[in-house]
Amino acid sequence: MHAPQSKPKPGKPIWPKVPAGFVRAMLAGHSALGLAFAALIYLVCFSGAVAVFTSEFTRWEQPAVPVLHSVTPAAVGAAFEETLAKNPKAHDLFIRMPEPAYPRLSVHGDDAKGAEHTWFADASGKLVAEQRTPWTQFQAALHTVLHLPSSWGFFVVGLTGVALLSSLVSGVLSHPRVFKDAFAFRWGGSKRLQEADLHNRISVWGLPFHVVVSLTGAFLGLSVLIVGVLALVVFDGNREKVFALFSGPPVADDPRPAPVIDVAKGLAVLQAQNPKAGFNYIFVEHPGEAGQHMSVNRVTPGRLSRGETMIVDGNAKVLGAAGFEGGNLGMAIYSSLTPLHFGWFGGWPVKVAYFLLGLGLTAVTASGVAIWLARRRDKGRPAPRWERVWVAFCWSQPLAYGVSAIVALLATGLPPVAVWGGVTLLAAASAFLWTPAVISVRLRSASAVSLALVALVHLGLNTGKAVDPVAWILDASLVLGAVLLAASVWATKKSAAA
Amino acid sequence: MIGLGGLALAPIALGGALLLRRAWTHADARRPWLIVGGWALLAVALAASVPVLGAVRGPAILLALASTVALAVVAAGVELRTAKRKAPRELALEPSDRRRIAWRGWLRGFLAGPLGGAAAMAVGLAVAVCFPAEVKTRLIIGGMLVPFLWAGGMAWTLSDDKILRALAVLVGVTVAGFGAVLLKGSL
Repeated sequence: MHAPQSKPKPGKPIWPKVPAGFVRAMLAGHSALGLAFAALIYLVCFSGAVAVFTSEFTRWEQPAVPVLHSVTPAAVGAAFEETLAKNPKAHDLFIRMPEPAYPRLSVHGDDAKGAEHTWFADASGKLVAEQRTPWTQFQAALHTVLHLPSSWGFFVVGLTGVALLSSLVSGVLSHPRVFKDAFAFRWGGSKRLQEADLHNRISVWGLPFHVVVSLTGAFLGLSVLIVGVLALVVFDGNREKVFALFSGPPVADDPRPAPVIDVAKGLAVLQAQNPKAGFNYIFVEHPGEAGQHMSVNRVTPGRLSRGETMIVDGNAKVLGAAGFEGGNLGMAIYSSLTPLHFGWFGGWPVKVAYFLLGLGLTAVTASGVAIWLARRRDKGRPAPRWERVWVAFCWSQPLAYGVSAIVALLATGLPPVAVWGGVTLLAAASAFLWTPAVISVRLRSASAVSLALVALVHLGLNTGKAVDPVAWILDASLVLGAVLLAASVWATKKSAAA
Repeated sequence: MIGLGGLALAPIALGGALLLRRAWTHADARRPWLIVGGWALLAVALAASVPVLGAVRGPAILLALASTVALAVVAAGVELRTAKRKAPRELALEPSDRRRIAWRGWLRGFLAGPLGGAAAMAVGLAVAVCFPAEVKTRLIIGGMLVPFLWAGGMAWTLSDDKILRALAVLVGVTVAGFGAVLLKGSL
């Protein structure tokens, strides 16, 4: 006969005993900071998770553009010359070369009236279409600058990154049960316990990712401010002198007319120097002037860096490298910040992981406020209005993203940011109508419908065309997202009925 | 194929997470070995990522994938509870109750925000200007220190009840940092 199984006694904790007073003080700071920045952190995290797939959404939004896995220097030169012919006095042109995540050739420049355009080219370098990806640009700008004027936007997003990083510090220091609860994930029963488990488990197991994205994001966002202050103190306010340190060999400005730079020849020279490295972009400055030159970025396979920038003058002579890959530690760190922040360094597996972990961080933010609200309710001081507002705001985002994408596909004249803002406000207004549980179910249901509609509208617009296969994968992913949201609604209703 | 090496290492990280979960759920004699084995597998995956995926890129890929699979293990072990049954009360510490005094709140916000930012900026710039290393290296390291120190200062000032002490420290650090930068004057 066996004795009845009893619950195992917890062993001696490995984590050093943290004084309760310290934990309580840290929790107070963690709560205050989290509440002050909750909405901003939520928005930046949600938009960041989507922004991981910016290249893929560009392909999805305009899927009939030629897919090019490689391109000849002559084709790049032809695309450059055709774009320059539209405005021979262009100050600069930006050429994006085909890469695995973005198999397209495009040239960005301005026309004679100063309006900016991006054109896609085919394998011969002939311009075949103008880029029209308003939704992709909307979601990228929402993450990087929140659609504020750029300097302010970067600063606010950077400050949000600092607040997130600070929350990570205080969160870790106020979590004495990190090992004891390492795998505890209880769902149902006590609302506060459920949200605390969700909050703590994602926070702890996703910690490397959370630290990396918040630190790199805060630095990228605050770099405008940091450079400005550094320039003020050391270079009499001249920011260009700071940027020049990272730009490679300088080329003197010389506005005298000269034959236009031979982009194809410059690429061929670089290709011969290092056949293993790929090209990803070219920035041509002052074309048609004696001081013209181009900065060519080359990617070495298997490295974290975003690439090495080579400076080539108007006679296709290679002047040298900026030093991102062959330089010092600072340059190596600098060149890895953007790939590390967006998950653009390990192919689609890392992108999928970043997307899921980004949504996890979004859930951590949502649950953090939910814990505070549940704690108030447990203590007999409920905040029902804030409970409704927070649920409505959180679930407004998938809906606002879905509706803005549908409108962007069907009515290209309407700015997606206006649609997103309108839907966010309307969804938030549901806080005045329903209980938190009803708001959650209805907005999740509406989000599921909107995501499915995005995929259907996209399929309807592009069926029968020669389309970039990534577009179908994204459509299938949108449908999967819709199914998961619908399943969550079904599970909630089933649980409520039980 | 790009990134697929990371997928090849993910099962090792998954094995590590499963061993740790097994140690967590079963408090028996094997528990220490399971903990050692779990962390050892995670360390092996991390070490193997260097030759397979690159010196810095490999660990970065592995950490992203390992975090994802570990969270999948956590999610797979979800314990569903009925909403109507009262869950046993968990021992969780409450945030400290502070007296609500307006000037302290505003001062705390000032310390965590503008003054903390200024102090972090002062230290970052001091490192950028005075640190004995190549110019670009100290610029980047100094710059990276700014958000890191600001975040640390924010966490400290928002949780420390002795806010006048925090005020004095932050003012001192700001003056010392910018003073060092102005004394040297150039990169």
